Amino acid sequence: MKPKVAFFDFTCCEGCQLDSLNLDAGQVLDLLAAVDIVNFREVKTEREDNYDIAFVEGSITRESEIPRLQAIRDQAKVVVALGACACIGGVNCLKNHLPMKDALRIVYGDDAKYYDTIPARPIDAVVPVDYHVRGCPINTNELLKVVKALLLGKKPEIPNYPVCVECKMAGNVCVFERGMTCLGPVTRAGCDAICVTSGRYCWGCRGLVDDPNIDSEKDILQKYGLTVEQVVEKFKIYNSYAEVLK
Amino acid sequence: MQKHSVLIVDDEPIVRESIGDWLKDAGYNVATAESGEKALEMIELQDFSVMVLDLRLPGKTGITVLKEVKAQRPWIKSIIITAYPSAGTASEATKLGAVDYLIKPFAPDDLEKLVRETLESLPAEPKALVEAEVRPKPPVVEAVEVRKSFVISRESLKSMVERLGEEMELVGVKARHGRYVYDKIAGFDELCLDYDVTVMPPTKYLLPAKETLLRFKVGDGSQGEPVITAEPRAIIGVHPYDIKAIELLDEAFVGANPDPNYIARRQNTIIMGVDCLNPSPKAFCPSMGTHLAETGFDLLLTDIGGDFMVTVGSEKGAELLAKYAQVREPTGDEVAKQKAVRDEALTKYQLSLDVPRETLPKLLEESYDDPYWETRSEPCLSCGSCVMVCPTCFCFDVQDEMALNLKEGERQRHWDGCMLVDFARVATGENFRHDKASRLRHRIYRKGKYVLERYGVVGCVGCGRCATACLADIASPLEVFNALAESARAKQAAIRAIREVSAGTELYAPRSAELVAVTELTPREKVFEFRFQDGKALGQRPGQFVEVSIPGVGEAPISISSSPTRDGTFQLAVRNVGNVTGALHGLQKGAIVGIRGPFGNGFPLEALEGKDILFVAGGIGLFPLRSLVQYVLDNRERFGRAVLLFGSRSPAERLFLDELAEWNQSPDIEFHETVDVGDGKWTGNVGVITTLMPKVDIDPRRTMAVVVGPPIMYRFVIGELRKKDLPDESIILSLERRMKCGVGKCGHCQINDVYVCQEGPVFSLAQLRRLREAV
Repeated sequence: MKPKVAFFDFTCCEGCQLDSLNLDAGQVLDLLAAVDIVNFREVKTEREDNYDIAFVEGSITRESEIPRLQAIRDQAKVVVALGACACIGGVNCLKNHLPMKDALRIVYGDDAKYYDTIPARPIDAVVPVDYHVRGCPINTNELLKVVKALLLGKKPEIPNYPVCVECKMAGNVCVFERGMTCLGPVTRAGCDAICVTSGRYCWGCRGLVDDPNIDSEKDILQKYGLTVEQVVEKFKIYNSYAEVLK
Repeated sequence: MQKHSVLIVDDEPIVRESIGDWLKDAGYNVATAESGEKALEMIELQDFSVMVLDLRLPGKTGITVLKEVKAQRPWIKSIIITAYPSAGTASEATKLGAVDYLIKPFAPDDLEKLVRETLESLPAEPKALVEAEVRPKPPVVEAVEVRKSFVISRESLKSMVERLGEEMELVGVKARHGRYVYDKIAGFDELCLDYDVTVMPPTKYLLPAKETLLRFKVGDGSQGEPVITAEPRAIIGVHPYDIKAIELLDEAFVGANPDPNYIARRQNTIIMGVDCLNPSPKAFCPSMGTHLAETGFDLLLTDIGGDFMVTVGSEKGAELLAKYAQVREPTGDEVAKQKAVRDEALTKYQLSLDVPRETLPKLLEESYDDPYWETRSEPCLSCGSCVMVCPTCFCFDVQDEMALNLKEGERQRHWDGCMLVDFARVATGENFRHDKASRLRHRIYRKGKYVLERYGVVGCVGCGRCATACLADIASPLEVFNALAESARAKQAAIRAIREVSAGTELYAPRSAELVAVTELTPREKVFEFRFQDGKALGQRPGQFVEVSIPGVGEAPISISSSPTRDGTFQLAVRNVGNVTGALHGLQKGAIVGIRGPFGNGFPLEALEGKDILFVAGGIGLFPLRSLVQYVLDNRERFGRAVLLFGSRSPAERLFLDELAEWNQSPDIEFHETVDVGDGKWTGNVGVITTLMPKVDIDPRRTMAVVVGPPIMYRFVIGELRKKDLPDESIILSLERRMKCGVGKCGHCQINDVYVCQEGPVFSLAQLRRLREAV
């Protein structure tokens, strides 16, 4: 019996689901040979509520999303958080720094009264999550790695070291030596340092490593010219929800 | 033949005279000077090959003289003599180009030998400076010999490099974003030969960030084919410190357990070095003795302005020059120029060790418990940058990567490093180096002590890459060494020749073994019995371990539970805690797995023979210990009294119930058992394992205790055994560590300077006293 796989989205841009499809034809066939995709609104209209593995994209920002997520958890044997919004709250949590009323007014203006909102949160703040596929957007290879591990019944080996490791493996000249600043030293690797390799710096979209040395990273950012406020802003972009930063 | 001239500078007449006589007798022209001023005057007028210089002089000091001589006559070799040695002046004198240091009083033979060796290192004509200018340049040489230096023009070098590029991949140094990197080059004009240091070292071409060790198909019963790929490649412009680093890799990967992947690449690589004339501001190579290289390269260039000197380091290098280049003998002027540019480079190093590098092992040994490790490591990000950029770091992790069809896959290794948080974490969750301070200490010990002691070559080449890469500014070994500074003595090293080595291909390739029986011990633990498909026995000693391989899932170290005295099969008792053990637990009789090993030392049978043995097993510590218990019972007459103490957490977690019952009945072994927490049915002893200790009387003079269990148990059991006056030499333990490769390379199982997979996992407590990370 092939496991049945379903994709769901909450508050997000659905870019991670798009990236999940970013496979070549051979990979698609291999994937479909291994699993049944029963629920994926970006691919097909039919839906089935009987599934084994749920990939959940997006963060939780409205009361109504909570019971829907709980129902998914009840049905699925395995829940995988897909992308920065689901894994760490991501950019949606920027609004958590405002009173919710103000956030609604800024976005919806006079129509704010028709909407409700709660502080944004990652899905594991609501239900237990088995695995995380991180990033904004996700790295398709890492998603496949997790899928393969699930099918083989093994725990996927997701790095618990910072992006610096992969950045060095890629042979990059350090961002700090090039006049920019970077969250790579505290951000979980697994992205092959794609942003730095492409000429930019790390924003921290994969979330922090298990035991990040935040104080040291803040000191370094200041040493390289950021003000205290700029340091805080830099962390906020993706990691507003992280407990160690509060 | 022209006589060499030696100038002796000392303010004591008796010293001048006696040294003068010794050297005259040995056949040198000798001149003397009683002060620095006089010496400098004489050097103005006359050239010398060697100067023997006292450091304490009236007027200008020896160091000042050395400085001025270095500026005026850089080719004069200076030997320092002093009655007042200090580390500071020694390192300063070395920096100023002094070749060696003798402490007064010394024997005539010692000085004579030193002068002779110094002169032998010079080219044939000692001082041709003036005459050489008017002599015609020597003709093109016919025969190129190893160890000799020649002159090659820039054009000839260019054409050699480009013709080499038609045969193999060329890599070299290029500028990028204000730094330098090794990368592929299309031609000579892309090369940078006057760089300071590259971001990543050239060792990445010998041990790439990621490489495949095995390729396998799942389900066909095979254990995978070794994958060894090496394309011919020339690395151009390798600095001497990186050449020294490669010599260390040779030592680690070609010595014990030759690594076929490394060796194939090494043998397909041409190393064309270049002297580093513009050192990086963070470098301290002279302090580590790595600013020049005499071996480890095929060819080594020195930019002498316009042309290059090229030194031949190997037969391969000689062949290359003979085939592709036109070289000629150097003039005396050119030899002097080479020395001058090297000496000038020496003055550009901004950092140096405060103590001789030979004293580092002792210095570190005495600094183990220094609170400095704690404070120094406080800002550490555990980002691994220092170990990733280090040319002498070579640790790795191994993982299986499956294709999406789940039918075929690869076993890959990739860089890993001891500064990363999970490096020493084992499947049961224990992390044997869990805090930043112990990780930093381990790395610095490797650089200054463990590597030197294990491989005989320096573990830090002073390139300064880690200091540049570390954002928290704590990585520089130099700063750590200097902060811990103190003096001591140490030892020298040898270099291994790479060309003659050949490794099999099987180092990482498992052998197929069939699962012939599975027995469940508890819901979490099973015993697996295997037989090799080729019918051969495992050949283990009790206490050794194997690496169990399940293609697509990975490899894990598992201790052997059965004695070699039983049958042609072997048994592995396994708790289900990780990926590989989880997969093992899912296997049925008839399944095929891969086995590498046996690895490790095993229990010391020779030492145990004739003795009384007290076995102490806690929980799954019985797994490895059972192999020894069986061995002793099967060779009962060779051992004295046998006592076994066994503790489980609860009656439900007891293991090998049949054997426990058997041992309980057997006249050959005294058996005592306990559980930490009882249940309604348990009628035996309740309490931790140490509660059994009072039940046994032992004779400490003829008893050996063999203890295997969780780390926490060791502390208490050791305390009890010591109370029974058992000496540490007679307490034998088996340690658990993350033994990823099994062959002393990947670094995960290291305890201080010891690789548990090689020297362990069995140690006496006396051996462990030295290994402070152990228990």
